[in-house]
Amino acid sequence: MAGLFGGSALTQARRALLSWLPFVAAIPVLWLVQHFWAEQPDWEYAFQNINHIGIAIILAVSLNLVNGLTGQFSIGHAGFMAVGGYVSAVLLLRGPAQDPYRLFFIASIAAGAGAAALAGWLVGKPSLRLRGDYLAIVTLGFGEIIRVIIENTPLFGRAIGLSPIPRYADFTWIWTAAIATILITKRLRDSTHGRAFLSVREDEVAAEAMGVDTTGYKVRAFVISAGMAGVAGALSGSFEGNLSPQSFTFVRSFEVVAMVVLGGMGSITGSTIAAAVLTLLPEYLRALANLRMVIYSIALVVLMLVRPRGLLGTREIWDLLPWRRGKGGPPPAKTPELSEALIDVRHATIRFGGLTAVCDFSLTVKPRELVALIGPNGAGKTTVFNLLTGVYPPTEGSILVRGRDTRGLAPHDIAHLGLARTFQNSRLFRELTAFDNVRLGCHHLTRESMAASVRKGELAEVEEKWITQRSEELLAVMGLLHRRDDLAKNLPYGEQRRLEIARALATDPKALLLDEPAAGTNQKEKSELMQLIRDIRDRFGVAVVLIEHDMKLVMGVSERILVLDHGVTIAQGLPREIQTNPRVIEAYLGEKYAREHAGQIAAGRVHQ
Amino acid sequence: MAEFFQHIINGISVGAIYALIALGYTMVYGVLKLINFAHGDVFMIGAMVGWYVARWTGESRDPSIPGALLVTLASMLACAILGFVIERAAYRPLRNSPRLNSLITAIGVSFFLEYGGQYVFGPNPRVFTVLPRHPGLHVGPVSLGYVDVVTVVVSVVLMFLLQRIVFHTRMGTAMRAVSYNSTVASLMGVNIDLVISFTFVLGSVLAAVAGILYASKYPSVQPLMGLMPGLKAFVAAVLGGIGNVPGAMLGGLVLGLAEQIVSGYLSSSWRDAVAFGILILVLLVRPTGLLGRGEAEKV
Repeated sequence: MAGLFGGSALTQARRALLSWLPFVAAIPVLWLVQHFWAEQPDWEYAFQNINHIGIAIILAVSLNLVNGLTGQFSIGHAGFMAVGGYVSAVLLLRGPAQDPYRLFFIASIAAGAGAAALAGWLVGKPSLRLRGDYLAIVTLGFGEIIRVIIENTPLFGRAIGLSPIPRYADFTWIWTAAIATILITKRLRDSTHGRAFLSVREDEVAAEAMGVDTTGYKVRAFVISAGMAGVAGALSGSFEGNLSPQSFTFVRSFEVVAMVVLGGMGSITGSTIAAAVLTLLPEYLRALANLRMVIYSIALVVLMLVRPRGLLGTREIWDLLPWRRGKGGPPPAKTPELSEALIDVRHATIRFGGLTAVCDFSLTVKPRELVALIGPNGAGKTTVFNLLTGVYPPTEGSILVRGRDTRGLAPHDIAHLGLARTFQNSRLFRELTAFDNVRLGCHHLTRESMAASVRKGELAEVEEKWITQRSEELLAVMGLLHRRDDLAKNLPYGEQRRLEIARALATDPKALLLDEPAAGTNQKEKSELMQLIRDIRDRFGVAVVLIEHDMKLVMGVSERILVLDHGVTIAQGLPREIQTNPRVIEAYLGEKYAREHAGQIAAGRVHQ
Repeated sequence: MAEFFQHIINGISVGAIYALIALGYTMVYGVLKLINFAHGDVFMIGAMVGWYVARWTGESRDPSIPGALLVTLASMLACAILGFVIERAAYRPLRNSPRLNSLITAIGVSFFLEYGGQYVFGPNPRVFTVLPRHPGLHVGPVSLGYVDVVTVVVSVVLMFLLQRIVFHTRMGTAMRAVSYNSTVASLMGVNIDLVISFTFVLGSVLAAVAGILYASKYPSVQPLMGLMPGLKAFVAAVLGGIGNVPGAMLGGLVLGLAEQIVSGYLSSSWRDAVAFGILILVLLVRPTGLLGRGEAEKV
């Protein structure tokens, strides 16, 4: 390959060609089909259906981006379709009478898409901050409100609607847009952004910890999806020649939801096929037309009970094909080590209501240091991790990561500063492969824009190769390479814990926070883990903060130990000092035991 | 000034109905953390059953107070069974699966009731008369509609009863325990299935009454009538703090008043936009609602 980021004119041209190839090849074909069949009177009915399918595909595939890939639930897609349709129609009705090169038509579609995307932003921004079900209600309400607005606005023709809209949209236009929608969605899904969408669906807390701006990605998915629905609306209006508010009711939204759910949440081919089937079904089963909605709703409930991810699930029709493997691309140079403290917690306190979970906690961690945080259950150890990673803000005190005050930063911002963590109950993206879990960890190191992912730009490709290589290396280091394409949930427990460490390391952290990595592992695995933690420190140059109950592991690996009890730091020092510290022993074993076994304690033989 | 009082009275009357529906949303959300999308349609079924019973007993030709009571009781019974069946058949098997799945199921049930209703009942509105005709009361220039008075009285009585049930009975204590932490509640010997079924039945019964009152106020019934009031009642529940019983009552009243004042002083065609505006505002400013408390996810 010539030059990594420059590239010769020839490779540039080839890349551009490859990126646009589907259109370069498809548009003439579409145009020929249009010319020879679609305009023949015999074929009129068939092509009317085919065009309806095209529009349904745009709607279903774009909704899949939100409902399937990102795991949110929007049920107001018809509302965005209406916005796009009406904006475009109003422009067309006021535009020039003749539009031989369809330039004004293209502009009107773009305006419709833009307006729908803007509406998506306005609706999504406030409601996507909250989890789950709110979006469903808000989008439901939005769909209705849009109709109320249209029915009350003279510009939009009130309840009667708008007509005659110039009928520019034909088979070629609609199917070009459908192919574009499928392609954009597919390329997005296969990029690092697509993995970010999936991570939001799988586990928002873990995604934040990996540096994914979850709200940002939800909003982006929603805005893109709304924009595409706007395109569908613009094309639909210009294809039918009229628009009326009655075509954008709940029923329309619900049909699209049914397509996405039946086809498989996250499966693009699934949505495409379901769009075709559900569009044709009522046409050919006229007798059932009245019962259509009843049948859809029963199908939906039954499917949820029997096959919750839809018929195809997240798979594609051709999913048996092996993945392409890439090589090459250099990892970026490591930033030089900092001499100052990596983590500097100053007198942090956090209260939940009346309960002080952690009180006046101070901790400094230097680069490449191995620090352990121990204490009885409920001492506040995990809360310290949650404070460090920004899950909770401290009530008092301050936390500095690499010299930067983290107050007001979201967890993903703190991940960018160089803190990575694992969770006490591992929070892998269970429905993603081991490889994708690690690749997702690389997400925040990437710079490619969404547009570049869609165009398959050069930077995007180089980054993708680099991510692949880095992720495979990390899997190899953790001894998980043979599990590369297994779903995370299918890994044995010990391997899941190692995969979580690999994912955390993929974020290129300066400090790694491990929350009980040895919990539930056997003696052999524990001694392996001890070696692994040291190796990680040496190989990746990270500091490690460890929460652990297994004293052998703690004593064997850590250079410094900090003991918490009831949120209060009761001791701090070298492993040797902690082992014989009477306050620590008292906290762990009770006062009586400490008195009776004073001799053994002094010899450092308590608790293994 | 008279006009203002008139709006207030209308607002309280509509708000009381919203509050009755909102209670069902909020109680189910409390115990299951599920937005029961089908709740607005249970409300519709309540009104529809009322219509059929009223026709069958001759109540719709010759309305009387005992007849109205009979119709209401029949519709309460029907909705109680419906609520029980919905929970049992559609929600219970999914109790441990991701929330998205139960949400989709809830939407499926909702559409099943709406379009099944449309298939059986026909899509057109039908006139609903249950209460005897009465000119209503007049206080100076302000008129108190008969239906409004009945609505407010019935709602206040029901809310008082509900308050007793939730805060002063064993079942109410169990409901609150399940809502606080269902795992722990089950370890303490609370029969969770029973509590959840009871919650659905209780919510559905309130929805049935609300359905009868609503249908009497705008004397008509149609299969999609549950949509808007359902949506607004949900907004009321969110406004008051979802999961919070007094919050739902407060939210319903505030929403009803806001709606009447907007439609009175601005334009009635924007009435339906008010709820949506309030919802966006609440989500932006105070997502936990007026009386709700925040809840952070445990990590």
